[in-house]
Amino acid sequence: MSSMIISKKIEFSASHVCRSPQLSDAENQRIYGAAANPLGHGHNYVVEVSVEGRPDPVTGMILDLKRLKELLEDKILSVYDHRHLNLEVAPFDRIVPTVENMAIDIWNRIGSSIDRTGRARLYSVRVHETSDLCAEYRGEE
Amino acid sequence: MIVRLSRRYSFPASHRLHSAALSDAENRATYGKCDNPQGHGHDYEVELTVRGVVDATGRVVDLGTLDRLAEEQILAPFRYRNLNAELEAFRAVVPTTENLSAEVDRRLRSVWAGVFGPAGPELEKVRILETERNICEISDRT
Repeated sequence: MSSMIISKKIEFSASHVCRSPQLSDAENQRIYGAAANPLGHGHNYVVEVSVEGRPDPVTGMILDLKRLKELLEDKILSVYDHRHLNLEVAPFDRIVPTVENMAIDIWNRIGSSIDRTGRARLYSVRVHETSDLCAEYRGEE
Repeated sequence: MIVRLSRRYSFPASHRLHSAALSDAENRATYGKCDNPQGHGHDYEVELTVRGVVDATGRVVDLGTLDRLAEEQILAPFRYRNLNAELEAFRAVVPTTENLSAEVDRRLRSVWAGVFGPAGPELEKVRILETERNICEISDRT
């Protein structure tokens, strides 16, 4: 059986501010627009995690989806859900929580522990900030 | 680090799938109800995927610039238009979702390097959703 990709979605709600302390107020406003409001705003984020691998010949599964769900709850939801990202979730005390940086951070949190059997690897992390905006990270390319 | 950012836009337009190279019977056989002489319309969705390096601002592409480009090249010329009658590209080419995707891709790529520069992000993929079920994607241009 050739390699396949299986994807799972989770959703969380969080607030953030897109504002860099290295930039002036005018620059922040020009670059991030309304998202630079210092008091913050929020989104219902949808995260789509895709895992690549070959289904196990006995179970027919690339990986244990219950374990993937637990991993996402443990590593992502418990950290991100109903939080202020800049104030409560590192590394966003140092880097701007754009949807791009969030995709990279989520990859870093789960990439190494997706699978203990060696059958599967993390293929991509897609973060939908709104229905018309999405960032995808596929690791180092 | 390389990230892909996708942005979705929408425009309504009408069209008719009909080829001058085919007889009326052949057009009906080929395009079915999409050959209706009076035309019909869709709310098209256009999804652009931009691939590039996340810069110091945490972004792959400036969304304001991307939005302006989409507005100028795609949305303003296509919004509320009859594609067959009002767009030069479809005078002799049938405005199927495939050909519409190719035209959207061509328009964006014709100005892309001028807008974003040689070191800027790449337009990796253009997807057009004619309906929720009819989706055309251009990503491999070879």
